[in-house]
Amino acid sequence: MADTVLTSGLARPQAMRLAAWRPRRQTMLAFSLLAPSLILLTLFTYWPVIQVAWQALHNQIRIGGPQTYVGLANFAALFADAAFRKALSNNLLYAFGTVIPSLVLALGFAMALARSSRVNALLRSLFFLPVLIPLVAAASIFLFIFLPNAGLLDYHLAKLAISGPNWLGDPDIALWSIMGLTIWKNAGYYMLFFLAGLQAVPADAYEAAILDGANPWQRLRYVTLPYLKPTIGFVLVIGLINVVTQVDHVFVLTKGGPSDSTNLLLFYVYQQAVESYDAGRAAAGTLVMLALLLAISASSLRTLERSFGEREP
Amino acid sequence: MITTRRSILGGAAFAAALALSPAMAQAPTEIELFFPVPVDGQLARDMAALIKEFNETHPAIKATPVYTGSYDETLIKTRAAMKAGKPPAAAIMSANFLLDLRIEGEIQKLDELIKADGKNNDGFMGQFFPALYGNAVIERSVYGVPFHNSTPLLYINAEHFKEAGLDPENPPKTWDEFAAAAKKLTKREGDRVTRWGISIPSQYDTGGWILQALTYSNGGRWFNLDYAGEVYYDAPSTLGALTFWNDLIVKQKALQPGVQQGGAVTTAFLSGQASMMLNSTGSLTHVRNNAKFPLKVAFVPKNLQNQVPIGGASLVIPIGVDGERRKAAWTLITWMTSPEKSGWWSRATGYFAPNMNAYDLPEMKAFLEKNPDAKVAVDQLAYAKPWFATYKTVVVRKAIEDELQAVLSGKKQPKEALVSAQKTADEIMKPYVEQTALKLPTN
Repeated sequence: MADTVLTSGLARPQAMRLAAWRPRRQTMLAFSLLAPSLILLTLFTYWPVIQVAWQALHNQIRIGGPQTYVGLANFAALFADAAFRKALSNNLLYAFGTVIPSLVLALGFAMALARSSRVNALLRSLFFLPVLIPLVAAASIFLFIFLPNAGLLDYHLAKLAISGPNWLGDPDIALWSIMGLTIWKNAGYYMLFFLAGLQAVPADAYEAAILDGANPWQRLRYVTLPYLKPTIGFVLVIGLINVVTQVDHVFVLTKGGPSDSTNLLLFYVYQQAVESYDAGRAAAGTLVMLALLLAISASSLRTLERSFGEREP
Repeated sequence: MITTRRSILGGAAFAAALALSPAMAQAPTEIELFFPVPVDGQLARDMAALIKEFNETHPAIKATPVYTGSYDETLIKTRAAMKAGKPPAAAIMSANFLLDLRIEGEIQKLDELIKADGKNNDGFMGQFFPALYGNAVIERSVYGVPFHNSTPLLYINAEHFKEAGLDPENPPKTWDEFAAAAKKLTKREGDRVTRWGISIPSQYDTGGWILQALTYSNGGRWFNLDYAGEVYYDAPSTLGALTFWNDLIVKQKALQPGVQQGGAVTTAFLSGQASMMLNSTGSLTHVRNNAKFPLKVAFVPKNLQNQVPIGGASLVIPIGVDGERRKAAWTLITWMTSPEKSGWWSRATGYFAPNMNAYDLPEMKAFLEKNPDAKVAVDQLAYAKPWFATYKTVVVRKAIEDELQAVLSGKKQPKEALVSAQKTADEIMKPYVEQTALKLPTN
């Protein structure tokens, strides 16, 4: 009862008046319960964001040197920088090229291995294995796999008399190589969510579908996928967020090269902040990234809510 | 009464101080040394052994080695530690970052410490090879103490040479001979290359160094040695160097297109998939120990002159390190760069010992007797020039490395690449140039 008043109270004036009549203690209680997260969020999220926003409007030629207000010049410089535009378009390609394939792969694995058996459990662990390896370690392994000529990949291709490309040294291929690593790394993780999601599909739904004469494809399309909608939405969100926040492998494999062909937004920000010590431009880049992340989460949260709403047909 | 009490208290305090002071003296001064591992090999293990020996011979100091990645990462981590107010007492810093660190006011002048040891700057620097001064002495003050240094070298698989009808005792000396040998050494099965004539690292960090070496040997200048605001990326000598490198791919077809990572270059050479490589002498011990074929090393082939940039690293003391820690850091630095330790480190790694006196020691003479290849880099030193050092070195270097990589990948022609590199570099250096070279008296 109190809950409804508190939440809907903000919207309607009448309810607000009602809320004002409530003893103050309740508001105090609400705030004291919220306090721990509120303090942490303020300290570690909101305050840094405000600092970054302030920094984005200022320039500093030397570390510890004077800060001068420059308005939106940092943003202008950012979008004028070919490397930033390259990082932005790389990140878009990287998002589409990794999230969708790893999602499809994960769903495939999950459906193939949903039934529990000893073999399936083993296979599931194998698919999950890459998740347990830290990204930097995985990248170091792939450094060896991608090694031109002497590497594992080229070694096996040579047996088929195919000369492999320069996996990390060719600007047309390097990003795709890195995408391969990302898919390998993430698919197992997403599979877990789909496995959980599949358990929630009631068996009688399938029975009914079979009685109606639905073929496997129709069962997937009209039974499994609708039930998995919230899971797909959730995996999409974390997948897209990962795309922006995971860059350790870029650092290990290519340092953004050749010629920025594997540079991603976060790595670009890192370069601006620590290699060029251009705090202003790094801050501007961070804000752009933040806006992207906010847009992703906001739109996917809306989709998620809608899917959850449609959960019961 | 009062006096007595005071004297008693004073006496007690004095006694306590007496009792404490030996204990205080025994508590060692703790210092950290940030060190990078920029090349192949067991450098981290060797460093642990070196510092262990230091601690055993210097009970008043406890030094801890902290591994900090590549040269670039060491710079970043040192800066981060300084920003956090906890600078390491000493750091092994890529020799070409010294100028940048000095411009930003991040490292200390060592003049006072040298003076306290009863020496002047010239006397102190006199123990090191003169080619190293340019990356250690700035405006007549000493900012870094050379610790290990390198030059690029040409590594040769003598077996492949014989196989191809070339003489390993007479390695290529000129670009013409070099290109011809690279072409001859390349092996194919149909369209597939099974062995490349040459492999050259071109990743960020090393690509610029090698291109600088080729530009130098092409008679050119790479940057203004006296003023940190000018680079000569679009000069004809640079264009010639880049065109030569690119020709190894497109004309001789003896070098794999695209960018080669340093580690991949060494692996290709050691596994016999590349017959020659241009690489740092810092990898020499690693390559010598792992090569399953007779190994030869030689000077970097020249076009117009023998000349290479030095590489390697110096020991620095960051700003904010003072008192006992500063003294302890200096003790460590002078110990590590002494002829004995300098020589030991050189034998362990392959870097040459910056301290010339190291080469007069009997163990070094015996080592060179057994490993004449270790002498090549030292001989080449006579033709060495300072390493690329400018304002914002890493970023200005990246400007040309991006273009180098575009050329090696067949995306751009050398000429347009260098014009664009020059433009980017000038843009980056602009604020510095405006505050220095372009800043004139206003009245």
